[in-house]
Amino acid sequence: MARRLHISTFISRLTVSLLLLVVAQTSMAQLKMFRMEKDSIPFFRGFAVSFDLAGPAMLMLSDHGEYEGALRINLHDQWFPIVEAGLGSASHENDEVTQITYKTRAPYFRVGMDWNILRKKHQSNRMYAGFRYAFTSYKVDIIREDLPDPVWQSKAGFGVKDMPCSMHWAELVFGIDAKLFGPLHLGWNVRYKRRLVHDDGTVGNTWYVPGFGTNDGDNLAANFNVIIDI
Amino acid sequence: MKPREYRHSAFVKGMYLLPLYFLAFLLFLSACTSIDCPVQNRVYTLYDLKKADGTNDTLTNDTLWVWSQRVDGTDTVISRDRQSTLELNYFHGSKAYSFELPISYTQPEDVLYMLLRNAQGKNYVDTVRIKKENIPHFESVDCQAAYFHEITSVTTTHNIIDSIVIKNPNVSYGAKTAHFYIYFKADR
Repeated sequence: MARRLHISTFISRLTVSLLLLVVAQTSMAQLKMFRMEKDSIPFFRGFAVSFDLAGPAMLMLSDHGEYEGALRINLHDQWFPIVEAGLGSASHENDEVTQITYKTRAPYFRVGMDWNILRKKHQSNRMYAGFRYAFTSYKVDIIREDLPDPVWQSKAGFGVKDMPCSMHWAELVFGIDAKLFGPLHLGWNVRYKRRLVHDDGTVGNTWYVPGFGTNDGDNLAANFNVIIDI
Repeated sequence: MKPREYRHSAFVKGMYLLPLYFLAFLLFLSACTSIDCPVQNRVYTLYDLKKADGTNDTLTNDTLWVWSQRVDGTDTVISRDRQSTLELNYFHGSKAYSFELPISYTQPEDVLYMLLRNAQGKNYVDTVRIKKENIPHFESVDCQAAYFHEITSVTTTHNIIDSIVIKNPNVSYGAKTAHFYIYFKADR
């Protein structure tokens, strides 16, 4: 089947291209990105925990979203290994057009690294570029009752309960943190997500994948984080 | 040692506007929502008429009607345009070398009746039985649910049909190749 292109796909590609351009130009301007700066600042600079506000907002405003937190290590204000975990859920009941019900609720995990791409590393505000590897294993309920057969006029509804599915994906991340006061930072990041391996179960496709968003070859998302240095 | 403090550039000061940028980005994203349903979303079977030597056959001066029975027992027309459930539809003429037929969502076996009337007005009726596995198919909550099928066997009576063979057992959206080759007797 021919690949279907959508406006969101074009916008995703455009955004990723622009992000890569920014990262590449910044990197070219400072080839010292991967080299530790020679100064008296210690290598280990502590931890930070963060909580995303965009996912809960999505949950309140729509039928799917995530609760997500992260633990990040600060290495010399340059490198930031990070582990993210979240709980994604969708509850789309009896769609008004298709009468389909879709439910899922499952945890997801990401691991990766951010780089501070600002020239002056040891300031309280930061700009990041990074990557993630992510995974989720989830179960979905997909129910369509009384699906009418247009020719034979029979009712042919179906329902699958707790159908096991999984997905592995990679993410490119670009983000900014700004220090408010004390240990408190605010920041946002945009993420280009690319599906790597997926098992969509036995009825074709799945719709919402926890942590990834609506299922497609790729996806674009954003987080708005409250960050606390510890 | 206390880290060295840097003076904030205009760019870094601009970072305090992050929440506004983020809201603008969310609005941008929300404007891009799309519905990812296949353009070709009909599930049907495709039959090619063939001669014994493998070349294409046509109905030429013959006419073929196809019908089935609904679950409630009344006849239904299952043909290309499905305009009516009362009138018989048919395929006729030299361009009728291939035709489409719907396939039931969940019946384990579809029973089709094919009536061929030749140029002399003589009628031949055959019964075709298609056994299949029915596989529910989901694309998205925005797209109608459907059933795909795997054809497991086909049998027929032989009044005018010599044989039917399965060429592609998988029935899904938008048939590109024939699922069945149907061979009518040459002396019809």
